[in-house]
Amino acid sequence: MFVEFTLNGEKVSAEVSGETTALALLREKFDLTGAKEGCGVGECGACTILVDGVAVNGCLYLAGKLDGRNVLTVEGVGGEEALDPLQQKFMEHGAVQCGYCTPGMLLSAKALLLKNPKPTVDEVKVAISGNLCRCTGYTPIVKAILAATGEGK
Amino acid sequence: MGTFNKVVGVDGVRRDTVDKLTGKERFSGDYKIPGALALAIARSSEAHALIKNIDLTKAKALPGVVRVFTAEDVPGENSYGIIPITKDQPMLAAGKVRFKGEAVALVAAESLEVAREAAALIEVEYEPLKASFTPEEALADGAEAIHDKGNLCFEHDSLMGDPDKAFAEAAVIVEDTYTTSAIEHSYMEPESGFAVMEDGVVVVTVSTQNPHYDHADLCRLLGLEEDKVRVKQATTGGGFGGKLDLSVHSYVALATLLTGRPSRLAYTREESFAASAKRHSFTIKYRTAADAEGNLLAVDAELVADTGAYASYGVAVAMRAAVHAAGPYMVPNSRVYSRAVYTNHVFSGAMRGFGVPQVALAHESQMEKIAAKLGMDPIELRLKNALKPGDKTITGQVLGDSVGIRECLEKIKAVRDEWGAAKGDDDGVRGIGVGAMLYGIGNTGVSNPSTAQIRVNKEGGVTLYTGCADIGQGSDHVLLGICAETLGLAREDIALVRADTMLTTNAGATSASRQTYISGNAVKAAAEMFIAKAVEAAAKVSGSAASELCFTGTAVKGPDGELSLLEIAESLRAEGRELEGEGYFDPETVPLDHHTGQGKPYSTYGFAAQLTLVHVDKATAEVRVEKLFAVHDIGKAIYPQGVIGQISGGSAMGVGLALMEEFDHTSDKNFDTYLIPTVLDVPDVEASFIEHAEPTGPYGAKGVGEPALIPTAPAIVNAIADAVGVRITSLPANLERVHSALQLMGGK
Repeated sequence: MFVEFTLNGEKVSAEVSGETTALALLREKFDLTGAKEGCGVGECGACTILVDGVAVNGCLYLAGKLDGRNVLTVEGVGGEEALDPLQQKFMEHGAVQCGYCTPGMLLSAKALLLKNPKPTVDEVKVAISGNLCRCTGYTPIVKAILAATGEGK
Repeated sequence: MGTFNKVVGVDGVRRDTVDKLTGKERFSGDYKIPGALALAIARSSEAHALIKNIDLTKAKALPGVVRVFTAEDVPGENSYGIIPITKDQPMLAAGKVRFKGEAVALVAAESLEVAREAAALIEVEYEPLKASFTPEEALADGAEAIHDKGNLCFEHDSLMGDPDKAFAEAAVIVEDTYTTSAIEHSYMEPESGFAVMEDGVVVVTVSTQNPHYDHADLCRLLGLEEDKVRVKQATTGGGFGGKLDLSVHSYVALATLLTGRPSRLAYTREESFAASAKRHSFTIKYRTAADAEGNLLAVDAELVADTGAYASYGVAVAMRAAVHAAGPYMVPNSRVYSRAVYTNHVFSGAMRGFGVPQVALAHESQMEKIAAKLGMDPIELRLKNALKPGDKTITGQVLGDSVGIRECLEKIKAVRDEWGAAKGDDDGVRGIGVGAMLYGIGNTGVSNPSTAQIRVNKEGGVTLYTGCADIGQGSDHVLLGICAETLGLAREDIALVRADTMLTTNAGATSASRQTYISGNAVKAAAEMFIAKAVEAAAKVSGSAASELCFTGTAVKGPDGELSLLEIAESLRAEGRELEGEGYFDPETVPLDHHTGQGKPYSTYGFAAQLTLVHVDKATAEVRVEKLFAVHDIGKAIYPQGVIGQISGGSAMGVGLALMEEFDHTSDKNFDTYLIPTVLDVPDVEASFIEHAEPTGPYGAKGVGEPALIPTAPAIVNAIADAVGVRITSLPANLERVHSALQLMGGK
């Protein structure tokens, strides 16, 4: 089937099969490899992307459902020259180690802040509770997200 | 010499961070490889069986299949393994399978779908053998031998003093049996890599902790000279010991070598779970003797580890566990007997701590039991017995100056006082627990050197060459920091070439918490030699005495002006020499005696103590770690934020070890049933460190990667015991075990 959608602010289109996942489409057709496959069953969150501002698992979300929607991947969050405040705070707080979970983690945080710019600590934790990280212990990530809201240090 | 630059101890920003935050960083699976063959592996359905026949007919007939490989196609020796005495693992099973999930055949095809379909069409005829799934079964009379040498992979004895006499004279003896579970590393990036042929060389780009060891084993498997194989470490999404073993490497290398085409393979998570190493499960029988004042007199421990179907790091785990069996305490008499036993589980290997987290559960539980018997404060008991500089460990090693365990314990004590008494609430009870540890930095009682080079580059700056694999923990940043500090530069001034077997020399594995200490020293030595060489050459060119000259990082200054590094390099080149500093460091060790286990296994140790506050829900038996304070003696923090990050991440992994993680070999296929901590399962870790400078360390540094995890589980188990009054001796302390403990708790 043919899908047209907005990808990181640009209109794009693609021919996809009924089985193609959003993750496969983004990685293979658009070479947007920021979203990763970590488990393939929607448990780890490394494939998280935003669809109309909502965080979804790209490994489960079918590409065909992207038609007419607005998709944000990590590549659209902010580039080297203009980091998003979340990226900036992740950097300052040492919230990145191996980096494999980072794009998904950032997008789950982004989805939260889009609808709730001043979340509590607990709201931050719930928002990223579907994103596994084995390196950081989460503490620096939670601090970074809170800092990006102007709360915390 | 260079001015003191103060890079060490200042965080800065890692050079991989921005790319990782913007999605630009390329892991091996993120590269486009035109024309690459897709690979899929047919895996054993049996845990232990003879292979009677492999029928490839249907697989080969499938359109799109390029070639199918079995053990017969392996050109070199079809056996590999990290430890020279136990290279017992085939890349493709030869005549026999030893665990369910073992690779039997490899398919190369034009697409991944076809490769997987073909792998499923391979028909293997097995003659099942009796399988053993515990060390007891494997060692029992009549057990089927998993390997020709039998089922005992390795045993290690250690004896010091006269433990029998000490037990006979003791005022207090406590004993118990402790068990721990198999654990999956759960790095977020599953194993992945690709291979291409370049000018007759098989070039393997792969997620790894171990490029130079990989290279040696690939040469062995492929039967190639070392200049015909090149391993380049790709950006690696975590390892924790699980990417020390070969995984996809040998398959992509074989397919590319034998077809001449590029090939790629990424394990699915299910495949990663089925075919990668696990943490050794342990059974530990442990007796401790103390006098009436609480001075430890003796330890007698018997350790049995399930090393699974292949040795991998089993020898290292069994030995290191034995060496660390008494914990960070002075124990004058000891007997430790440690074994790694083959079973028909997927192989166990290295995982953060190499057996030390397992023995720490035992020694830290024992300390609590002694304290209870004597009516002593558990921290005071630990302080009374904590190792000091000049004390002897149970291998007879006399410790040097950097022994910070007492200070760690003092800090823990102060924090405990701040927290006050643990009070329960309507839902449950609370408790506070302590865990302490020591951890030897580097490999156990063997030479494990690192090397590094620093050269002037075309731009007139310097390039650091290191074989050290940064697996996400930040060793690049640490080594650049040491290099910059020594040369009087900023990290940003230095180019880095790392973990490529053609361009860099061996730095040893990124394991055993060794890279900061060992590779850090090699880098520092390289930088010092670079400076000396530049100054010596500048003296010759300028006619000044070396003592009049000053190395500035980019030039050598003298009374008559300055010479740039490029000018110096040119003058050396005219003599056929290079402006290069070479560094080498091998920690001083003495091999452990085969009968007594005595020797000097490491040249330095990290120390730590952690304190936890837990809440145990009386109705659900759920344990929540509400507070976790950690203090680690790391010698010197080269990159403080990295140290804190290691402690925070290691502690979270320790929460998993303590409460959640138990790899079920039959049912755990993915993260839907194998649960690792989410952000909701871990407390905000209050991580801190002290700096008892290690005289032999680079700027005093030791290591922290594995120590970060080791005290956590004991601290949690001890806190649960404090809360419910019943000690859990098997990890994880999951709902069932805590529920049982609550039932025993009765009227508390």
